Amino acid sequence: MSKPNFFLLTSNNSVKRKFSNSNSNQIILTTRARIARNLTNHKFGSMNDNQEKKAILNLVKDTATQIKELSDYRFYATGKLTKIQRKLLIEKHLMSSEMSQRMQGKGILVKSDHSYQSYSKKSVSIMINEEDHLRIQCITPGLSIQQSYLEVMKIGEKLEKRLNFAFNSTLGYITACPTNLGTALRISVIAHLPGLVMSSKIVDFIKNLSQIGCSIRGYFGENSEVAGNLFQVSNQITLGKSEKDIVEEMQAICLNIIEEEEKVKQELKTNNFVNIEDSVYRSYGMLRYAKMLSYEESLEILSMLELGLDLGVIKDVKKFNFYELAGIIGSSHIILNLKKNKNISEDEVDLIRADMIREKILKGIG
Amino acid sequence: MICDNCGKNEASIYFIKIFNNSYVKKMNLCKDCAKSISALSDEDFFNDLTKILSSIFEIDIKFYEDDKNKKLFDSTIWDKNKRCHYCNIDLQTIKKIGEVGCARCYDEFKDDLYPLIESIHGSLEHKGKIPVNCNKRLKIEKDIKDLKYRLGEEVTVENFEKAAQLRDEIRKLQEKLYIN
Repeated sequence: MSKPNFFLLTSNNSVKRKFSNSNSNQIILTTRARIARNLTNHKFGSMNDNQEKKAILNLVKDTATQIKELSDYRFYATGKLTKIQRKLLIEKHLMSSEMSQRMQGKGILVKSDHSYQSYSKKSVSIMINEEDHLRIQCITPGLSIQQSYLEVMKIGEKLEKRLNFAFNSTLGYITACPTNLGTALRISVIAHLPGLVMSSKIVDFIKNLSQIGCSIRGYFGENSEVAGNLFQVSNQITLGKSEKDIVEEMQAICLNIIEEEEKVKQELKTNNFVNIEDSVYRSYGMLRYAKMLSYEESLEILSMLELGLDLGVIKDVKKFNFYELAGIIGSSHIILNLKKNKNISEDEVDLIRADMIREKILKGIG
Repeated sequence: MICDNCGKNEASIYFIKIFNNSYVKKMNLCKDCAKSISALSDEDFFNDLTKILSSIFEIDIKFYEDDKNKKLFDSTIWDKNKRCHYCNIDLQTIKKIGEVGCARCYDEFKDDLYPLIESIHGSLEHKGKIPVNCNKRLKIEKDIKDLKYRLGEEVTVENFEKAAQLRDEIRKLQEKLYIN
């Protein structure tokens, strides 16, 4: 494979330029680092039976209780959670949707100080018996690759002192799927790219990113629909590169993404601006007058409003944090926050959601 | 699932298409439609496909123009009946689910899996960190590597008695590696 060329994405290479925090966190909304680990003397998920899964689960759980750094983690057996609790964990990306299928022997360790309300802190979780025996992941707000990465490595090493992880000197850490071998480290960021989408430059951009060994895909809303001009970008190659290489490359790629999006946004101001204004005002109108908003619709609206704010199209909208807001308008979050009536209909949720967003971002509404 | 485009064939490719006028759509396509609909050229499309990790085990091998890849995914060279001695998974299943059954599978199916791994990562050499507690194990692994090399030498000079001895030693060490 040819050496990745990080400068491919932009004509003007000022990768090292420092971006102000607010700018970068508007485009790179969140960062996730994940490592996969497997125990040497146990079969993987596809071939082990429930008894073996249970043994793995208990071993990891018991080991975690011996580790001081993991003392504030809470264990949940996936099967014992209610459906809505599982959905919330998935919504918050602390757990993959795979964990809620065939739940026998699956469990999750979650750092217990994570707040259901806020997305401002890092959240850490250890999934047990997902595709791999252990998947340790950390999510941090904004562009914060180093922070997430250090956290998962720290936890990985603590566990490693007590557990024997499958490893061989050629293939590195052994994983169930060959695509994760080596460092078994996956860094992914969620990028909000309304400028690139509106300017139709996103197609070439995606092509370029995939050429340099990055995987990019639309970010899914609740019903697997791509929404809100959100994209998930992650490293594809895990073998043949060190952890440090992967972290540095992803960092460079993210800075490029930010720069490219910023550049395109400026171009939009002079080019076909009336189209942008139209889209922004349509979203504004929908938010102002629509009674019910689905999660996906809301993401679309918020995306356009943020672009509108950024380009100075609209003024009577409060500045908001896209990711934080997206986090609290998820259906499970809304339902769990209501506490009392859990048999609430989808329409009612959509109704509450529309009110919530209006209250949060429209000036003078309340 | 039926192809979203032609409505006739079975869809085998999950495709995300970004249309020029700013909206993104999820599609389930059959092979033919995926090819014709793609905004990318055929070559790019194939290259991208090889990179779509989850598809690797599912897409039709005829998609690959490249000889190396063709061989790689041609199931006729994969011995379907071969099973892992430890977890009993067979190659056909590995191919289907895209996962191996245990850590030993990578040794058991080395000839089949290593070329695939190299095509995914462009490398067969781990450069990242090694486990904190694995010095002992790494040593065993190195011993195995050395013994295998010697085994090859003995086989070329047709000293089969010695070769058999070395083979047994290797097996013993391999046992040790996995039991530890």
